[in-house]
Amino acid sequence: MKKQHIQHLYWRTGFGATPTQLEVLSQFDRHQVVDMLFQNATNLTVLETDTSEIDHLTQYDLKTKSNRKLFRDVSTKKLKAFNTLWVNRLVTSNALLREKMTLFWANHFVCRDNHILHVQQYNNTLRSHALGDFGDFVKAISKEAAMLKYLNNKQNRKSKPNENFARELMELFMLGEGHYTEEDIKESARAFTGYSHNYEGEFKLWQQQHDNGFKTFFGHTGRYDGDDIIDIILKQRQCARFICEKIYRYFVNENLDEARVNELTDVFYKDYNIETLMRFLLMADWFYDGKNIGVKIKSPIEFLVGILKMVPMEFKNAKDIIKIQKLLGQVLLYPPNVAGWEGGRSWIDSNTIMMRLKLPSVLLSNAKISLTEKGEFEDSFKKYYKQRSNDFVKVEVDWVAFEDQFDKVSTNDLKSILITTKLNNGTKSYFEGLSKTSKRDVCVQLMSLPEYQMC
Amino acid sequence: MDRRDFLKQSSLASSLFFVPSFIKALELISPKQLGYRRLVLIQLSGGNDGLNTIIPFNNDDYYRNRPNIAIPKAEVIKATNELGFHESMLPLKKLYDEGYMTILNNVGYPNPNRSHFRATDIWHTGSRSDQYLTTGWIGRFLDNYGDEPFNAIEIDDSLSLAMKGQHMYGIAAKNPQALFRTSQDPYFKNVLKHYDDEHLSEHNLGYLYKTMIAAESSAKYIFEKHKTGSNSKDYPKNAFAQQMKTTAKLISSGIDTRIFYASLGGFDTHAGQVQSQKRLLDIYAESIDAFVSDLKQQGTFNDTLIVTFSEFGRRVKQNAAHGTDHGAANNVFIIGNQLKQLGFYNELASLSDLDDNGDLKYTIDFRSIYATLLDKWLSVDHSRILNQSFSHLKFI
Repeated sequence: MKKQHIQHLYWRTGFGATPTQLEVLSQFDRHQVVDMLFQNATNLTVLETDTSEIDHLTQYDLKTKSNRKLFRDVSTKKLKAFNTLWVNRLVTSNALLREKMTLFWANHFVCRDNHILHVQQYNNTLRSHALGDFGDFVKAISKEAAMLKYLNNKQNRKSKPNENFARELMELFMLGEGHYTEEDIKESARAFTGYSHNYEGEFKLWQQQHDNGFKTFFGHTGRYDGDDIIDIILKQRQCARFICEKIYRYFVNENLDEARVNELTDVFYKDYNIETLMRFLLMADWFYDGKNIGVKIKSPIEFLVGILKMVPMEFKNAKDIIKIQKLLGQVLLYPPNVAGWEGGRSWIDSNTIMMRLKLPSVLLSNAKISLTEKGEFEDSFKKYYKQRSNDFVKVEVDWVAFEDQFDKVSTNDLKSILITTKLNNGTKSYFEGLSKTSKRDVCVQLMSLPEYQMC
Repeated sequence: MDRRDFLKQSSLASSLFFVPSFIKALELISPKQLGYRRLVLIQLSGGNDGLNTIIPFNNDDYYRNRPNIAIPKAEVIKATNELGFHESMLPLKKLYDEGYMTILNNVGYPNPNRSHFRATDIWHTGSRSDQYLTTGWIGRFLDNYGDEPFNAIEIDDSLSLAMKGQHMYGIAAKNPQALFRTSQDPYFKNVLKHYDDEHLSEHNLGYLYKTMIAAESSAKYIFEKHKTGSNSKDYPKNAFAQQMKTTAKLISSGIDTRIFYASLGGFDTHAGQVQSQKRLLDIYAESIDAFVSDLKQQGTFNDTLIVTFSEFGRRVKQNAAHGTDHGAANNVFIIGNQLKQLGFYNELASLSDLDDNGDLKYTIDFRSIYATLLDKWLSVDHSRILNQSFSHLKFI
C-alpha cells in the first residue's frame, strides 16, 4: 500500500501513522492493512478511572449533606481525570479504529453529565457498540442513565409526557430534521414514558409511569415501547442515509458526494452493521481519491493527539491537558450543546488559529521555532525569542523515543510524514530555504504551519 | 444596498473580508454607517440571584420563602416603596439616583431551561428554548454588519459562542499585549510574508491562511489602539475589574469595536449564598463604579451602554443548604446616560403566582432586549440577526 494512502487511512481512522508504522504497513496491500485495523479493534478495553473514594457510598449515604458534597466534589475531580485518561487512551491505544469511532459516536449521541460513574458507563457503552449493530446501539443509548437525565427522559411520564428525548432521537440520532412530524414525536414520546434508572445506573422501566396504550407512529399502530419505536425508525431508508452522510462527512469529505453516500446507504440499510459499513468505506477506491486526502481541518483533539503520537511527552500537570483543549475549543466530555461540535471551519477563529500554530513550539521547543535561513549564521529574530520562558505548560518531551522513531527518516521525508496536504507554493519555498540542522527543529517548523492543521 | 448585500452579490462572499486589500475597497464604497456607539455586555455566570440583588423588601412571600437568606429590610438600600438594592450594590444605587440606570425585571423566555450551559447557550445564540443554533447573536451581528474580528472583542482567553457567527468571529483579547506577542512570532510572520496568495482559494487551507492573516492584523490593531488608550481611574485589583479596565482603555483609544464582552463567574450559590453572593456583588459593583467614572472622565460614557445579564435567576424558595437552586426569569441592568426610561422599567412579577418549578414567570423576552439594543443603539436591523422580529422596549 502506498505510504500516502496509509497516512490518509491512519489519519481518518486514527491520529496519523508513525514512520515505523508506515514502513511496516507499506509492505502489505490495502486489504491486509484494513483487515489489521479491524483485527486490532476487536478487543474492547473499557476506560475507567479510580473512583474508590465514592464507590462505597450508597443511595442512603447520600441522604446526608456532607456525603452529597463529597460525592459532588469527587465526581467533578474525577471527570477531569477521566478526560485526561481518555486523551491518553487516544494517544496510546492499539485499537485505533474503535477509539476513533467512539470519538465519532460521542459527537453523535451527544451527552453531558456531572456524575462520573454514569459518564464512565456511557463512554464505555459508546466504545462497546462503536463497531456493532446500530439498532442495538441506539437502544442501549436510550437506556443509559446519563442520557435519561440529559434529554429529560427520566421526567417523561404517562400523565405528563416529556418530548425532549423523542424529538432528539429523530432529529439528531436517527433521521435528521424534516423527516418526521410533530405527531410522530408526540406518539413516540409516549412509548418512552416510564424510562428511568436505579442508583447503580442500570435501566429500570417504571411500569406505573409507562403508557401501555396504542400509539400510531409512521403509519403503524401498536402498544409500542421505546425499542419498538427505534425498530420502526430503522425501517426508514432515511435513517441509514442520515448516518451515512455523517460518516462520509467525518471520515471522507465535508462535501457530500451524492453517488458515494448512496453506495454507503445501500450497504448500511441491509443490516445496520457498522463494521460492515466501515469496511466497505475503507476498502473503496474513492476513499483514497486525491480530492479526499488532506482536505479536512483537524479537530482540536485530532490535532493534539496527533502531536503527542509523533513526539511522546509527559505533562507534569494533568490540568494542562484540559487547559489546552479549552483554548483549542474542544474539551472532551463537555460538548457545547446537544448538537455537539459543528466541526470543520467552525474550529477556527483568530484565537484558536494562533493557539494551534503556537502549540507545537510551546510543547516541544520552549516556544521557539528555528528560523535560520540557509547560509545565515544566526537567525535575525534572536531578540524575539530571548528571555522567553515557557510557563504555559510543563512537559517533559521524550526526544529519545522521537529520535528512535525518526532514525531512518531523512529530513526531507519528514515533510511527507507530517503533512498530508500540498504545501502552499510560497510557504514551500520559504520552508525549503530554512537551514535544517536537526530533525527536531524541522518537526517543529512543519507542525507550526497552517498545512499541519489539515488531515 | 448595504455592505452585506454587496458581499453576497459580489459572489466573493464569506471570506472576502479577510483579504486586506478588499477591506480598503469596501471602506471606500461603504462609508461608516454605524456611528461610534458601543455596547458592553457583562454576564454574571452561574445564575445570579436577582431577588437578593434587587430586593422586594415589603413582600411577605419573599421573607416567608427565604427564612435564612432573605436580606433584612433594614439592610436594604431602598429605591422605591417595594424594591431596593443589596448593600454591596451601593455604587449602582448611586447611578440609579443619577438617572444612569434602568432595571428590567422578569426577563426570560418561554419554557425556561435550568441547565447552566444550555441556558447560557440560549442567551448566547438568542434561540428559543427548543431550538439549537450554532451561531451567537453577536457573531451574526458581525456576519451582517462587521468588517473585522475586532469589531467585537471578548475580554477573555477564548471566544464564547455568542461571539461566533457563520462567516465571522469576534476576537478574544484578555491581554492585548500577550495576544500581539503571540501573533508576532517571527516564524509566522515569515510564513505570511512568503505564502502565495494567488492560490488561496475557497478551500479549507485557504481559510486557515486568511484567518491567520486576519488574526495577525487584528492583534496588531488592538495592541496599537490599546497602547494609545488610557485609564483615568484606579480599578480594584480583581480579575473582573481588570476586564473593565482593559475595556475602558480600548474605548478611550477610539477603537473600531462595537461590542465588548466581559464576564464574572461564581454566582451558582447553591449553598451558603449570603456570604458568597455578597463577595461577588462587591466585585461587580466596585468594578462598574470605577468603569463608569473612568468613561465619564474620558468623555466616552455618552456613547457607551452597559448591559448586565445572567443566564437565569434563582428559585424563590431557599434550599436546605441556605442557598438557592436554578431558577428562571431574572433582572437585567442597563447603564448609560441616554436612557429613555429611568429606574424600574417594569414591576417585579408576583412571588405567589410562580411557574411549576416555583420560579418567577417572565414578562420580558430577552430577545426583545437584544432587538432594542441592535435597532436603537447600534442602528442595525435586528430581524437579520435574530432571524425574527421582536417588538422594541422603550428604555433607549
